[in-house]
Amino acid sequence: MIKQNELVKGNINSLLLCLIGQQPMYGYQIIKELEDKSQGYFKYKEGTLYPALHRLEKAGLLEGKWEPSAGGHQRRYYHITAKGNKILAEKKVQWLDFLAAMNLIITPIA
Amino acid sequence: MKTKLTQYIQNLKDHLTMDPASEKDVIHELETHVEDSCQELQNSGLSEDDALEKCLTQLGSAKIVAHQIYEANNQGTWRQALLAALPHLIFAIIFALKWWIDINTLPVMFVVILGIAIYGWYHGKPYWLFPWLGYSLFPIVAAGVSLLYLPEAWAWITLSLYIPFVLLLLSLITIKILKRDWSYSLLMLLPAAAFIGWLLAAGQKPGFPNLKITFMYGFAPWTSLTFLVLAISVALFIRLRQRWLRVTTLTTSGIIVSIVIILASNQLGPASFISLILLILSFLLVPAFVERKIRRNEPA
Repeated sequence: MIKQNELVKGNINSLLLCLIGQQPMYGYQIIKELEDKSQGYFKYKEGTLYPALHRLEKAGLLEGKWEPSAGGHQRRYYHITAKGNKILAEKKVQWLDFLAAMNLIITPIA
Repeated sequence: MKTKLTQYIQNLKDHLTMDPASEKDVIHELETHVEDSCQELQNSGLSEDDALEKCLTQLGSAKIVAHQIYEANNQGTWRQALLAALPHLIFAIIFALKWWIDINTLPVMFVVILGIAIYGWYHGKPYWLFPWLGYSLFPIVAAGVSLLYLPEAWAWITLSLYIPFVLLLLSLITIKILKRDWSYSLLMLLPAAAFIGWLLAAGQKPGFPNLKITFMYGFAPWTSLTFLVLAISVALFIRLRQRWLRVTTLTTSGIIVSIVIILASNQLGPASFISLILLILSFLLVPAFVERKIRRNEPA
């Protein structure tokens, strides 16, 4: 049986690219957005978020910049790069295909 | 309670081992996370102490977070791995194809290597720089060894002036590298173990390390093999993520190189083998110890 947190861990790169692709975000904001948008389903272990963000940045998919937040404090915002957008588009197609196939199996047409 | 945060940050610093600018960036990023998280927890009704306690628990072990960030940031690309292995490969080729016979080859190579090392030093000290740096120091060390074989007065001048100068230069460069990551100093120092090993083997013949054609000719394939071993291990070092695996790879390659030198020379006994192993261990342990000392003395 695959645990829920393992499912999240296995797909964190896609989740992060998807979220940051919608708007640049900083670490804490990402944790909150993931939780809110998934209605509490994606509760990500906070300490493991930053290594994942740094991996994506090292791979050239994200770019971190220090910018003032809405409250005026400096936060490290992550922006998606052109390469990141390209990978994200590929991942989305893969996911939609996967979901469609899963649905066909889980809810077979009578 | 603030001390708990200071301790957490110190634990992070102890295990991050990145260049100072990146380390500062990472620490600041995590501090802002703690700040946001604590603020929200306090808004939900927790006391300042409880909020910090909960926030640090949610972040997880400082050691694990630091190791994961280190692994995310320190894995080099295949291009960097090739660049780092290149000086070893160049020397492997020089010895395999017997290009060393041409008197101009080695000096020209050392000038090129020195140029590349200086370029890397002033362009952000990338991962690939350190082996080049190690080779660029060879002529300086070799000159010191040569001076020892000059008449007595020169030997004394060498011992009292030149060797301290070389040691000082090496220490300054090593300390500069240590501030980034002590394991990189092993990348720089490891070729010296091979160099000293071959010098010891050459020194078994009468007179000044016997660099006569016949001696070098017999050893050339083995010398080439030792440089090839170093090239492979350095490439692996750059590609591996875990620090302990990186250090193990370099140490193992040092031991393999020592074994090759001992077997090929057929004249060096167990004492020389143990000396070489001790030298490699000192290259490993001294930088690790010094880095720890430097970090402990840094203001929190």
